[in-house]
Amino acid sequence: MAIDKNSAVENARNDLAKRLNVNAADVKEKSVEDDDFPDMALGAAEDGEMSGQMITSGWRIKLEAQGKTYEYRADKNQVRAFNFKGKNHRV
Amino acid sequence: MNRNNFVIHLALALVLVLVAAFAGQLSRWRKQWKSHIGPIPASEKKRATTTEEIALSEMRSFGRPEVLVKFKTGVSQETIERLTALRHDRVEDRIENVEGLEAIDDLDNADAATVVSEYQQLAEVEYAEPNFEIELDAAETAGPLVPILPHDPQFTDQWALSNSGQRGGKQGADISATLAWATTTGSDKVVVAVLDSGVDYTHEDLIQNMWMRPASMAPYHDNELGTIDDENGFNAIDSSSDPMDENGHGTHCAGIIGAEGENEIGIAGVNWKVKIMPLKFMNAGGFGTTKDAIEAINYVIDRKKAGVNVRIISASWGSTQRSRALEDAIRKAYENDILFVAAAGNATVNNDRNPHFPSSYNVPNVVSVAALDRHDELAKFSNWGVKSVAIAAPGVDILSTWLGNAYEEKSGTSMATPVVSGVAALILAEHPRMSVDDLKKKLLASTDPIVALKGKTVTGGRINAAKALE
Repeated sequence: MAIDKNSAVENARNDLAKRLNVNAADVKEKSVEDDDFPDMALGAAEDGEMSGQMITSGWRIKLEAQGKTYEYRADKNQVRAFNFKGKNHRV
Repeated sequence: MNRNNFVIHLALALVLVLVAAFAGQLSRWRKQWKSHIGPIPASEKKRATTTEEIALSEMRSFGRPEVLVKFKTGVSQETIERLTALRHDRVEDRIENVEGLEAIDDLDNADAATVVSEYQQLAEVEYAEPNFEIELDAAETAGPLVPILPHDPQFTDQWALSNSGQRGGKQGADISATLAWATTTGSDKVVVAVLDSGVDYTHEDLIQNMWMRPASMAPYHDNELGTIDDENGFNAIDSSSDPMDENGHGTHCAGIIGAEGENEIGIAGVNWKVKIMPLKFMNAGGFGTTKDAIEAINYVIDRKKAGVNVRIISASWGSTQRSRALEDAIRKAYENDILFVAAAGNATVNNDRNPHFPSSYNVPNVVSVAALDRHDELAKFSNWGVKSVAIAAPGVDILSTWLGNAYEEKSGTSMATPVVSGVAALILAEHPRMSVDDLKKKLLASTDPIVALKGKTVTGGRINAAKALE
């Protein structure tokens, strides 16, 4: 099922809350912008993952928690945590 | 000078002028007659296709001297003319620089071999031979190639194949596909593996060009995976027989390589005729695992060994993570004479410093491809590398097939890669036995130099399909 912008943000908030072990309410939405990503893993491939090298439109989601900013990337197919503690994660 | 002398001189002058004019006209008639009966240029013959052209061709060939006869030294011209007249033949021309050599026309239009035989039997004749029509080699006669334009309705939007300056592009900033098609539009004997998200093999613009396992070939068997009925290709994600695309990316790449041409539907691929082998290792999201990519490469090698003429793997994917296992699989493909065309990546980085895989593997069959836009500029997203990126091809706003009989414009080195794979397939259509090393050399030698690529790629050029077929 295709993911829309709102559900992508919601998924990202829940994921970050889980990773930081905080309440989802403590994760604030800083910005959500339409953007083009360099590949079909949205420039956030996990280890051992290959992706189509096609420019892919999606959303760049910035969330704030515990005084830090975290980036998520999403499109209609997926949500990914970008560079969370040095690694990318598919949500 | 008295009046009588003046009149005489005037009359003489008039006579001289008339004689000169008549002689000039005679010369023109002779030239016209000679050109009328002269040999037909091979190029004209190749193009004589209409009824009128054929009639003209036949008219021109009529009256061409059938034989060249060399009479022995001392045989007089009078004797020669008598001998030819006896056979109801005519001396059409004397070859001045070879004594006794005559071009003879048989007025009964007997075939040349018969006429030659008749003259060879004469004691006065040293030799006789047919007046062979000499044709230049194809490459010499071709002259400027005539562009071939397909009647696929959306072809005018395919700037990569023919850039007429549409949508503000640079005229001629294309791969010269229309000129290449004057030589070949591809062959259904060449199989290109599209290692991707699968292919919508039911797409109306692809269906005729999809590979299917021949009935005579046993289903795929792998010791670990077991037996798989690979009728339509291979799905490495769940090791099944169905490589149906759920994303669209693989279908797009397949259309660039080989959407059926001249079918009056949608677009034309670089190859109008080819066989696309669909391999699925990326999911509906457009990503997959290294392990599944390796499984699919192994499948290709296995099918090649089983007799499928699969010579190219088109790989419009990658990552920055090096995998020794993937590199080994690609090397194995090289050992099996399979070219591996790979996307250089879209991170706007120099691959010499920040390698992208599999395109950066130092394996002889790997061709790394950067993307160009419709202005002959390196695409703003494209990776480059004067040591590691071989060649560039159009990769911005590329129209191709999409899921559900649709067409979409997409951008990426993903789109540039199948352009090069497609050109490689055209080369193989013309040179089926070309080795993978020679195929790669040919590709890299078939570019148009582009200013924007100087110092950016190995060749510094855009692939040119017409040059690749020279």
